[in-house]
Formats: sequence, C-alpha cells, structure tokens
Amino acid sequence: MKPLTFDAISDGDRLPEVVRTVDQETFWKFAAASFDYNPVHCDPEWVKTARPFTLTTTVGHGMMTGAFMSSVVTQWMLPTVLKIRKASVKFTFPVLPGWTITSRGLVAEKHVLAPGKNFVVITVKAENQDGMVVGLAEYEVEFPD
Amino acid sequence: MDEQQVRKYFRTEKQLQFRTDFFDAAEDYEVWEEIDFANVQEIEGENTFEIKEEDVLFFAEAALDTNPLVRDPEVARRSTYGELFVHPVFITSIIFWCVGEKGRGNWIRTPGARNPGQSCVIHEYLRIGETIHIKMKPHDRFIKRGKYHLQYKVDLYNQHDVLKVETITTLILPKDREGIRRFLAGERGVDD
Repeated sequence: MKPLTFDAISDGDRLPEVVRTVDQETFWKFAAASFDYNPVHCDPEWVKTARPFTLTTTVGHGMMTGAFMSSVVTQWMLPTVLKIRKASVKFTFPVLPGWTITSRGLVAEKHVLAPGKNFVVITVKAENQDGMVVGLAEYEVEFPD
Repeated sequence: MDEQQVRKYFRTEKQLQFRTDFFDAAEDYEVWEEIDFANVQEIEGENTFEIKEEDVLFFAEAALDTNPLVRDPEVARRSTYGELFVHPVFITSIIFWCVGEKGRGNWIRTPGARNPGQSCVIHEYLRIGETIHIKMKPHDRFIKRGKYHLQYKVDLYNQHDVLKVETITTLILPKDREGIRRFLAGERGVDD
C-alpha cells in the first residue's frame, strides 16, 4: 500500500466509510474494554425506569460512537502513521441496540504551511440506518516530513 | 446489572480487578453542585495504568475495529510503525481505571451520567509498555438547555512525566445528591 502523502490529498476528499452494527452484547463488551459500567449502557432492567435519556432501552457508550468515528481516520491513514493531534466529538443522539452506524469523513480543510507542519482537518458524521445523525467529530491530522 | 453478562467477555488482568458495580460507592461520588471552583487544585488519579498488549487488543476488538495495525500484533510488528497502534479512544479506559472508585473525579462513574461529547489534544500517541498516570482539576461547570454539565481537565502522563494527552472530560450529571439517590433507586434522577 502506498504511503499517504500531503500532496496527494485535496480538500473535499471523502474518506472510506466505516459501518458498524451494534447490539446489547456490543455494549457489554465495550463496557469491559472501557471500564465504563454505567448502567445506562449495561443494565436493561434499570434503564426501563431510570431513563436518563428518557428512553426505556440501554444505549451505546458515547465513546463507542467516538471509536467508530475515529476509525474513519485511522482506517484511512494506516499504515501511514500521521499525527492525530486534536480530536473533538459531539454525540447528538444515543445509539440504540440493533442500529447500524455509518461514519463518513471528508477532508474539510487543507492547511499548507511547511514540511512537517502541514495538516488537514477531517470532519466525520455518524448516522444510523435511517439517516439520523448520532455523532459529529473533527480531527486535526498532521503530516510528517 | 447481571455481572455475568460482562464477565463472560473478561480476558485481561485489569478486567478481573476492576469493580464493575457503579452503584456500590455512589453515595460518595463527587456531585455537580459541590465541586469547589473557588479553590481549584490539580490532583493525581488514584491508580496508574500500565499499557499492556492484552488491554490494547481487547479495546480494539470491542470497538469493532478491523484494521490489522490495531488488531494483529504480528502485522503491526512488521509495519514501519513497528508495534500495535493504540486506538485513540483507548484514553477512555485509562481515565476510568486511573480515576478509580473513591478518588477525586469519581463523578465519571455516576449511574445515569450522559456523555455530550469530548475533546482532546494528543501530544504523543500512547504506546504499549508505558505506565500512565493522570492529573486532573475542575475546568468548568455549566447549565445548558436544563442539563447540568461538569468538565474536568484530565491530562495523561507517562512514567517519565511526558505529557501524552490533554483532555477536557465532560459529562451531564444529576445536579445534587438527591438526583444520584433517585438514579440509585431506579428512578429518573434528572428533570430535563
């Protein structure tokens, strides 16, 4: 696979999308991975009455959605190891069991500075199977010399 | 929570050690309205996190990532990077582990807490073999559309005190202890 180079990238380029289908087992396994055992993700019985999101089902971890969105960037860049130097994510709707989440990214800005300082801004949008936006993210990715 | 549902996935040493019951010490969790912003102090987390290959591999698998540099140690060792690439969101695992149960910052364990979004600045990628400790301090506290947000600045350092990652860690919480008690009782602990 050819290394990713700054010159080969244009603003507006679309990154390959990342598609993930989730269920309650996904949430339990992510809890074990992240050490986030908040019952809103892990306890279907508790959430029926506690309803932090007003929903009566569990929801996926926000950082699970965050992981899907950041995978758009790492999937695109690896094996070239660029420097993701800033990341910000916003979760706009909780992800329910059984949903399929598609994360799509594009090169929103290309900052042409100098070798070793050039960077791009990648924006990522995550949507469920019905087109509902569940997450938005922005990453600054720096290119080495 | 039926703990067996998560225990069936346990493969790492840390998973066996970590307390999964977020209800147990909840009466002692820090509360939104009680955080002291008049005398902000930076504090260390309760625990340190030695990054092991098993931790990194499990996280990548649970995040459903399929990239071989994140999932396959042999492929990763043969790459120009030379080792497994630690998933960027692995920061979450480190923060929950390092905050611990009884220490400051334990509000992140509040049952019913909601995640509106997060941000970070990455100075260096995390690497297997590093031991991470965190320093944290209250950053902001605000009400937005009726929801009570709390933010801490949580910075991750390695064993040589090299700053690896800076984060602004944010959650929407119950306003007070009464809200936490309602969640513990299985009732809605917020009014938004």
